[in-house]
Amino acid sequence: MMMDASAKTDPILSLNSVEVLYDQVILAIRGISLEVPRGGMVALLGSNGAGKSTTLKAISGLLKPERGKVSRGQITFDGQVIGENPPQARVSMGICHVIEGRRVFEHLTPDENLEAAAPPSMTRAQLNAEKERIYEYFPRLAERKSAESGYLSGGEQQMLAIGRGLMTQPRLLMLDEPSLGLAPFLVGEIFGIIQRINREQGLSVLLVEQNALAALDVVSHGYLIENGRIVMHDTAETMKANSDIQEFYLGGGEGRNFHDIKHYRRRKRWLS
Amino acid sequence: MDFWYLAELTVNGALTGLLYALFAMGLVLIYKSSSVPNLAQGALTMVGAYAVLEMGRLLGAPLWLAIPLAAVAMFFLGLGIERVALRPLAGRPIIMILMMTLGLDIFLRGTTMAIFGGSSRPMGLGVTYDPLFVGPMLISRIHLIGALVSLAVFVVIVFFFRTRTGVRLRAISDDYMASWSVGISVERGVGLSWALASVSAVAASVIWGEIQGVDQSLSLLLLKGLTVAVLGGLDSVLGAVVAGIILGILESVGSNFLDPLVGGGSRDLIVAAVLVLTVLLRPHGLFGRHDIERI
Amino acid sequence: MFYRQSGIRHTDYVSDSKLFPIPADRNLLLLILLIALAAPFILAPFYVNSYILPWLIWTAAALGLNLVIGWAGQLHLGYAALMAVGAYTSVHAARFGIPWEGALLIGGALSAVIGSLFAFAALRVKGLYLALTTLALQFVMDWVLSHSPTITGGSHASLQAPTFRLLGQAITSDAGRYYVALGWCVLVTIFLLNLRRTGLGRALVAVREKDYAAAILGVNSFLYKIIAFATSAFIAGISGGILVVCYYFLVTPEQFTVAVSIQLLAMVIVGGLASIIGTYLGVGLILLAPGVVNRLFGALAGYFDLRFSPETFAHIPNAVYGALIIVFLIIEPMGLGKIYRNIRDYLLVWPFDQLKK
Repeated sequence: MMMDASAKTDPILSLNSVEVLYDQVILAIRGISLEVPRGGMVALLGSNGAGKSTTLKAISGLLKPERGKVSRGQITFDGQVIGENPPQARVSMGICHVIEGRRVFEHLTPDENLEAAAPPSMTRAQLNAEKERIYEYFPRLAERKSAESGYLSGGEQQMLAIGRGLMTQPRLLMLDEPSLGLAPFLVGEIFGIIQRINREQGLSVLLVEQNALAALDVVSHGYLIENGRIVMHDTAETMKANSDIQEFYLGGGEGRNFHDIKHYRRRKRWLS
Repeated sequence: MDFWYLAELTVNGALTGLLYALFAMGLVLIYKSSSVPNLAQGALTMVGAYAVLEMGRLLGAPLWLAIPLAAVAMFFLGLGIERVALRPLAGRPIIMILMMTLGLDIFLRGTTMAIFGGSSRPMGLGVTYDPLFVGPMLISRIHLIGALVSLAVFVVIVFFFRTRTGVRLRAISDDYMASWSVGISVERGVGLSWALASVSAVAASVIWGEIQGVDQSLSLLLLKGLTVAVLGGLDSVLGAVVAGIILGILESVGSNFLDPLVGGGSRDLIVAAVLVLTVLLRPHGLFGRHDIERI
Repeated sequence: MFYRQSGIRHTDYVSDSKLFPIPADRNLLLLILLIALAAPFILAPFYVNSYILPWLIWTAAALGLNLVIGWAGQLHLGYAALMAVGAYTSVHAARFGIPWEGALLIGGALSAVIGSLFAFAALRVKGLYLALTTLALQFVMDWVLSHSPTITGGSHASLQAPTFRLLGQAITSDAGRYYVALGWCVLVTIFLLNLRRTGLGRALVAVREKDYAAAILGVNSFLYKIIAFATSAFIAGISGGILVVCYYFLVTPEQFTVAVSIQLLAMVIVGGLASIIGTYLGVGLILLAPGVVNRLFGALAGYFDLRFSPETFAHIPNAVYGALIIVFLIIEPMGLGKIYRNIRDYLLVWPFDQLKK
């Protein structure tokens, strides 16, 4: 892919052995290092509870409401080390986290959802232009911009959540499981739009997914996280070809029965 | 029971109801911006009344100046309350937040009483007690003035929630986490809502202080205000106004019929009954938002 | 230190689910119980009568409220109304000639019936709205009491409780009343201690956490909500009766107003939801601390020769009481029970606390 050359030089986001503690005891991620190249698209794959969402929250500063904190390591965004900044400071730096489970503002209309997310410094004219741009990416939203968001369909809500994130003028967009609970054709549509935004605006994207097959189709690189550790990092093509990934995340493989696979996986974990 | 008497009861009831709405809008302001039911609004109203009086007494300010000064003071009191008491509880179960506002209510009332004593003081707005004659009906002037103030506050609040700050506050009340994720400063927004509710408490306190004197009984408006807010739908400003009028009329006309039957004091019973029936039959009130639960 | 766990091995479920898995806890409790039994003989009657006795009775009542709020997760702001039902019913029954044992039970039973009515509200609404409904029902009860002379005893609006007799024995001494209160409080405590070991307790917790998830698992959340409300109302009724007969001696509507409901709620929340030891501590704090602070304040004012109006003095306990609620909710929203547990957990491993990390 075209991003490969720039990836070596200056990543927009890099994590250096980051550790996250919840409630001062529960170690949710243990020394994660990863990089998102400027203008690149990277996927973070893994199963439930592997630490994907926690990683994103560590970057966006949303750990605090859940009594978590980064206990070790450092996160660098665009050359600046993010310390203990509150989430709103990170959003104005250009980090946007589209959180898991859509979470649109249910009692606001899509129009108001977008308005709520716009930076306060934006003028009315800029705001309207931004809204138009987002409706252009997501024409389905434009049709329902005055309905109550809680009654939109799952797919529309996900589009709204992404659109809302784009309103914050991010330079890095982090998406937490945008495919959750959506029909496959909608997943394709949404990923297509994300890819388009990435191409047209040079927006860097960090995509967290369980749906590895769909994710690996659109990104250049992938990281695989298990039990709070990165266990694999490679280009999307290589990962797709890897037999372990095929077996655990893509549903392929030699068709061993589930019992065997569980043992096998446990052994793999110990080795990693 | 002739027609004009009933009409007089209705009109005065509606005016009183608008005064309840004036109080209830403080509750709605906070609930609409942070989903916190503020059971300390009654105590805040009482503090607001004393703030107006003290501004007049300590600074020698005339009443027209004392009221805005008190409003400024209350703005910062509201900010302070949110900062100290509510912020540490953000995201905790509703019962703890309820308890916190109850604790604030007890604390504010106790402190105010300890400082100012229990005897009633006049607000001194100087509105004459002579009623206004509209046809054969007698209408209380202060209630009429209060109703106009209430409508003015209503218009201001409605426009406020249309502004971008207002939209952000409504977003906060929907989902704290999502608000953080798009860079809304949740803490500042909730603080602002408390500050504004405290300012609106000053408006209610001046009118109600003029009507019933400034003392502890101002905090008892809470039950009526709460009933109005719930009947209107806790997050609807328009609802508060409509429900205020409904409750005012029900109370005034209903107690006129019921009092001879039960030996007086049926107003409180009507209020409590309206609250119970609203919650059981239509918890989201007349215009309140439904909780949208997807499984 | 005091709680050393070494040598304690639970080899089967029965021993692991004992009431007190750690013997030190049990020993401590026995010690406290012994002191409580000896209290009338070692403490001045003034302290027993005006501090410990009301503390025990209010604790029993607050434990009942904690059952419905802490274990079953249903908000309840009308608890004092149920205590009033129990108090008035048992006093009327006793005046009618029913022996006190029966009178208290009738009071509890009627309370339970009315308390179940609250439960029907809980089936329709949750959270804030349930709190508001129960609050409104409390106001209705206040109104009924203040408007029905037949219940409240005519023009003086107070009703003398007849001489207290249990098992044919007239209880007129301070020590006798104290033991009745102690007995009731211990009984309620034992019931709640055992609750978490029973299916009922587990069902209540399941309903609290997510009622429709519990329903899907086959827990009849409707039934358990009613059981929780009825049981707690039963405890409220009997506590109300005992409060009147052992402490107030006469019953008036002001003893059970909405302010009392809020006070009970404060006791439970400051104490800690679903925490028994916390409830004891919370009741002690809310009931006794304002008075203590007031005396301290008076002593200080006297020392520095400051003059305050009597009105100021009258309202300081209220301010202190409000401040206590605020401060404890800020420091530890989970309540005194959680603070106690933190200290205990710390002592469990002290001085080897690095082992935990």
